[in-house]
Amino acid sequence: MGMEMETKAAEEKRERYIPAPGTYEPAITLKDVCISYSTMQKTSVKQLFRKGNRPQKEYFEAVRGASFEIPKGQIVGITGKNGSGKSTLLRAVAGIFAANEGTIDLHGHSVSLLAIGVGFQKSLTGRENIMLSGLLLGFHEEDIRREMPRIIKFSELGEFIDKPVRTYSSGMYSKLAFSITAVLETDIMLIDEVLSVGDRHFKKKSYRRMKRMIKDRSHTVMIVSHSDATLRSLCDTVIWMNDGIIKMIGDADLVLDAYEDFMEGED
Amino acid sequence: MNIYRQFFEDLKKYKSYMVYATKSELKSEVADSYLNWIWWILEPFCLMLVYTFIFGMIFNRSENYYPLFVFIGLTIWNFFSANVKKSAPIVRRYKSIVSRVYLPKVVLLIVQMLTTGFKMCVSLGIVVVMMFFFRVKLTYHIFFLIPGMIVLWLLTFGLMCFEMHYGVYIEDLTKVNDIVIRLIFYLTGIIFNIDQRIGKTYPQLATVLGKCNPVAYLLSSMRNSLIYNQAPDWLWMLIWLVLSLFLCMGGVRLVYRNENNYVKGI
Repeated sequence: MGMEMETKAAEEKRERYIPAPGTYEPAITLKDVCISYSTMQKTSVKQLFRKGNRPQKEYFEAVRGASFEIPKGQIVGITGKNGSGKSTLLRAVAGIFAANEGTIDLHGHSVSLLAIGVGFQKSLTGRENIMLSGLLLGFHEEDIRREMPRIIKFSELGEFIDKPVRTYSSGMYSKLAFSITAVLETDIMLIDEVLSVGDRHFKKKSYRRMKRMIKDRSHTVMIVSHSDATLRSLCDTVIWMNDGIIKMIGDADLVLDAYEDFMEGED
Repeated sequence: MNIYRQFFEDLKKYKSYMVYATKSELKSEVADSYLNWIWWILEPFCLMLVYTFIFGMIFNRSENYYPLFVFIGLTIWNFFSANVKKSAPIVRRYKSIVSRVYLPKVVLLIVQMLTTGFKMCVSLGIVVVMMFFFRVKLTYHIFFLIPGMIVLWLLTFGLMCFEMHYGVYIEDLTKVNDIVIRLIFYLTGIIFNIDQRIGKTYPQLATVLGKCNPVAYLLSSMRNSLIYNQAPDWLWMLIWLVLSLFLCMGGVRLVYRNENNYVKGI
């Protein structure tokens, strides 16, 4: 996020949307969610046949006992140190990872995840990838075709849209990914560290786009970010994760202040 | 939730994705080559010439319509082996997609099958042309190709489910596949007739090889219906249909129960 944007964001004091329990329509409900990876990911054939002697699987618990409910239309930030389980949590909400324990309920809403450097088939053109991504997000072919010009315009890729994605620079790659999500809107949008995509001009544009989406309250958004300014200006509430546990959840300023104090104490 | 109902619902839901992904996959395979889509015809045709030359001229094979015999064999075999081989590393291959959106993993398998299935259809088109060329008499037996095809697709899909599942956790599977599939290639009678070559000296062995290996069985019944005007052995067709269905059910169950852990494994 550029400096001028941060100051501008600070100026726009926004009313935070934090409804009282029971007075809202829930969009995401997590109950006692635990997600673990087995650290011994690959077995060799030899080990498979040696039944009694199989090495013990070690589990790494990325998220432990996460429970919360997000009202429809709320913008939620997730912050925390590296490796604290933020992205894992986001992927579980997106339905990519299974929760080992607990339940994740999206109340029938559609969901999309936007993350750095993922999502495309490199040998296909940008246009084909837009189509494939759109279909994967659950949109109909005609809808995607109708929105195609808008996506291409937003991405600013010009002629590159008909070239294979493998010829793209990393900035172009992210621009395309952001444009698809920005135009083909889902009910719940999960954003993993990508609000600083592309050059200065594109950053501004995507920030404005986010602002607009947030303003009309039709989308529920979860943002993983390390940027204090982004979270303070965009989010209603913030979830602070530490070592896989939700340490604090609540009003963005309150949580971020506590997080800052905590991090200073760590140094 | 019923896994199988979910499976059929997903097939419906992801239909347009599967079709579009198959088209893109086919296009991207040949997009950078000069001859482009001609390769889909040229590749199997050239292989047919190679095998016909080596086995037909040098070893002087006696099977009737030998080039056709080899070509049908290769067509079916390529479909089977390419699908099975490619399913073990398939989740890794589509990592960029499956780590971003939820996608029923069987959809990846079906896209793979449709892609190779398209190539098989092109090859079968060449078979038809060759049948005119060799003046093979066409009879109603050609319709017996259909049950054979159904069993072939079911069998392949069932195996693919297991390959994909274990391929996520055991990378060695790709290597094992290469060897096993090569072995099956020679045991299946792609380039020779099991009954004629082995059956004369060891009739029981020929029955075991020809019937207990589903690919060999399907292959010979398809050849019979296309070029030798014979009906398939219906009992074995039924046996393999039932076994393939069970394989598919087991495979789909295995994949649906574990698919959301696959991304963690890669």
